[in-house]
Amino acid sequence: MSETLLLQAQRVSKRYGATIALQEASFGLRKGEVHALLGANGSGKSTLAKVVAGVVAPDGGEIWLGGQAVRFRNPLEARAAGIAVVYQELSLVEDLSVQDNLWLGHEPPARFGRVDARAARARTEALLGLFEDVAGPRFAPETLAGELPPDERQLVEILKAVSLEPRVLVLDEATASLDGRQVERLFGLVGEWKARGWGIVIVTHRMEEIFRVADRATVLRNGQVVGEVRIGETSREELIGLISGEASRALHSAEARASAPARRTSPLLSLRVRRGRKLRGLELEVYPGEILGLGGLHGQGQSELLLSLFGALPGQDLSLRLEGQPRAFRHPSEAMRAGLAYVPGDRNREGLLAARSILENFLLPSWKSYHRGPLLDLGQARRAALEVGEKLKLKFGALDDRVTSLSGGNAQKVVLGKWLLRSPRVLLLDDPTKGIDVGAKAEFYQLLAELRAQGLGVVFYSSDDDELLSLCDRVLVLLEGRITAELSHAELTRDRLIRASLGVKEVVSGEP
Amino acid sequence: MTLLRRLLAQPYALALILLILGLVVTALFQPAFFTPRTFANNLRTYLPLILLAVGQTVVVLGGGIDLSLGAILTLSSVVMVQAFGMEADPGPLRTFGGVALGLLVGTLAGAVNGFCVAYLRLQPIIATFATSFIWGGLALWVLPQPGGNVPTVLQDFVRAYFLMPFSLWAVLAILLAWAWFLGTRWARALYAVGGNPQAAFTSGLSVERTRLGAYAAAGLLTGLGAFFLTADIATGDPLIGGPLTLASVVAVVIGGTRLSGGAGGIVGSILGAVAYYLLKNVVALSVFNFNLSPQWQTLIDGTVIVLALAAPGLLRLVRRQP
Repeated sequence: MSETLLLQAQRVSKRYGATIALQEASFGLRKGEVHALLGANGSGKSTLAKVVAGVVAPDGGEIWLGGQAVRFRNPLEARAAGIAVVYQELSLVEDLSVQDNLWLGHEPPARFGRVDARAARARTEALLGLFEDVAGPRFAPETLAGELPPDERQLVEILKAVSLEPRVLVLDEATASLDGRQVERLFGLVGEWKARGWGIVIVTHRMEEIFRVADRATVLRNGQVVGEVRIGETSREELIGLISGEASRALHSAEARASAPARRTSPLLSLRVRRGRKLRGLELEVYPGEILGLGGLHGQGQSELLLSLFGALPGQDLSLRLEGQPRAFRHPSEAMRAGLAYVPGDRNREGLLAARSILENFLLPSWKSYHRGPLLDLGQARRAALEVGEKLKLKFGALDDRVTSLSGGNAQKVVLGKWLLRSPRVLLLDDPTKGIDVGAKAEFYQLLAELRAQGLGVVFYSSDDDELLSLCDRVLVLLEGRITAELSHAELTRDRLIRASLGVKEVVSGEP
Repeated sequence: MTLLRRLLAQPYALALILLILGLVVTALFQPAFFTPRTFANNLRTYLPLILLAVGQTVVVLGGGIDLSLGAILTLSSVVMVQAFGMEADPGPLRTFGGVALGLLVGTLAGAVNGFCVAYLRLQPIIATFATSFIWGGLALWVLPQPGGNVPTVLQDFVRAYFLMPFSLWAVLAILLAWAWFLGTRWARALYAVGGNPQAAFTSGLSVERTRLGAYAAAGLLTGLGAFFLTADIATGDPLIGGPLTLASVVAVVIGGTRLSGGAGGIVGSILGAVAYYLLKNVVALSVFNFNLSPQWQTLIDGTVIVLALAAPGLLRLVRRQP
């Protein structure tokens, strides 16, 4: 056992039924090091992180912590040993305050089982202070966790782990819902924590973050470790090659963006919001055969804009036209009948019936079209589902398998596929590629390009600037519920996008 | 005005409204209700349900439900009565030993429910509905027919009047204990386990132990309720607790505690329990005043209960309209 290794996983294996999640995977974490675990979804990187955290018990192999073999039966034991984890699935209790969430399970004790409220308060304020200026005004000890936007919840999640003063901090996709400034701040803090001698394990899909913050990386593929690299001695291309196992680079294929701009016929959909929830006076038009991007920092009204189009936020002062006809959707069902489809960002909460089969998830919005008399026509439904599955390159066992048997990227395809079965005219996408792997993303981009070619109007919100830049015909940048810029063609550059996101002037309207 | 608005924003606003409604109607049709003596007597009758409702609240906050509380109350009560024996003064050992035994039986029964739900992972509704027959069956075995006696010292105790009726002191004590509890880590654990068990688990809390504790606490509170009931009616009855189970759930629901767990508190449930009795009283009054035949009472009771259960959902529907 090397003295410098703080934590070591040795030949760790884990199976879930027939699926091998981890096969003799090993990696070592040094003191004061940021170590990235990389891999596509289903590669086992999250499982490995969970084994280290005591959430998942390995079937074989050993974990060494500070020169001693340890065996965690639950997260509590791992925490007691000094390992804190920031979870990808938010693990906050919505009905408890930020403060109570931060200290849940390790409240500063007073006598007779009571909580030392004063100490908790003081420490909470100190912790929240770390992110105060990159969060909103409601980011305070007494706010209920459920009232915070996703990015600030994620910050609470991070601070909850930090409040344990761990030896090992595991960040599992912790930046997925953060905006640029928050990520910046987090990485600054990671530097400080490193200097204190913490070992930090980071699990992420975002390549640029690895090059920003990590010292070393262990790459997994299909449950096996396929390489360990020093970040200073590698390149993006090499890493992507290791992750995908192929030399081909699927990401950001430029051909996804059609060279010919969308034909400016009459708009398919136009929206004018005078005053709405989070939206403050904006207008937009979507043309057939175009991908209209929505950009900007997190939570600037992009989701609200999509939901408004879909009729899910009634009671706002807005007017909507579909193919020139004024429409008012009071409920998503009305928008659906008019040919709109909405793919939510949070697939687990809004997109899927976890306990039901792939088939049922596919057909949930369209059972109406598959029946013979009063009975469902399952044969036809299956054929349609298979067809869409094939079109989406969905990797699945059988249509009757639970949808939870799919990996994140494939589950997201089901969310998209269930709307494609209705042959929509307008597709509203709310950050659809969040947390899905490189390969699935590439297939998704391909699909979007096909849909555009078929003449669909696509409104696409993404928290990944690269996606907006490579996929969209036009991008509207939102800031505090207003459109601060419309970028297209030559003006659609990263520099302009970031400037507009931050509200830096100079960029004028991008109408050609 | 601001106070009123703050009260209406509370989760227990509904319980408060029903309570006031009940009080007003009662005051109009039955002014005698508010004479100190009647009032104190009535409060004493309400006390067992208040304790059951508080126990039910604890279980519901933790994400469960206990449909056997009425049966536990019965069992605990008949155990006490059998332990007391037939003398008016059986001596301190049998008197206090009997009470302690009853409380212990209640706590154990609650713990068994908790074990079934937390460790055997049975559905709370099914598990506790099933165990209710065990507790009820045991109660019939302990005391096959109504009867038995309660030591006079206990009967006097629950009728004591010191500045205010004993029942009010009891409620005050419960509220103080609850205020203390809210400051503990166990309260955080209870709310966390009910609100998001996964989050509680990953925060290092024991979901099982918390759930077991909630059910055991409910059993203890039910045992206390059994003591008050037994001392009040001064005899034992192996079927006494049955109707109280549903009543405790009604009190919790109109008290604003979320049935899926994680949000709410006992203040609403206490108000809810009192409101429940007042509404029943109003129904009884109307049956009497309008010369309805008494068999209507059950039907009206049931309708009122369903309406009370539906009220939070109806309120939400009304609020959602722009």
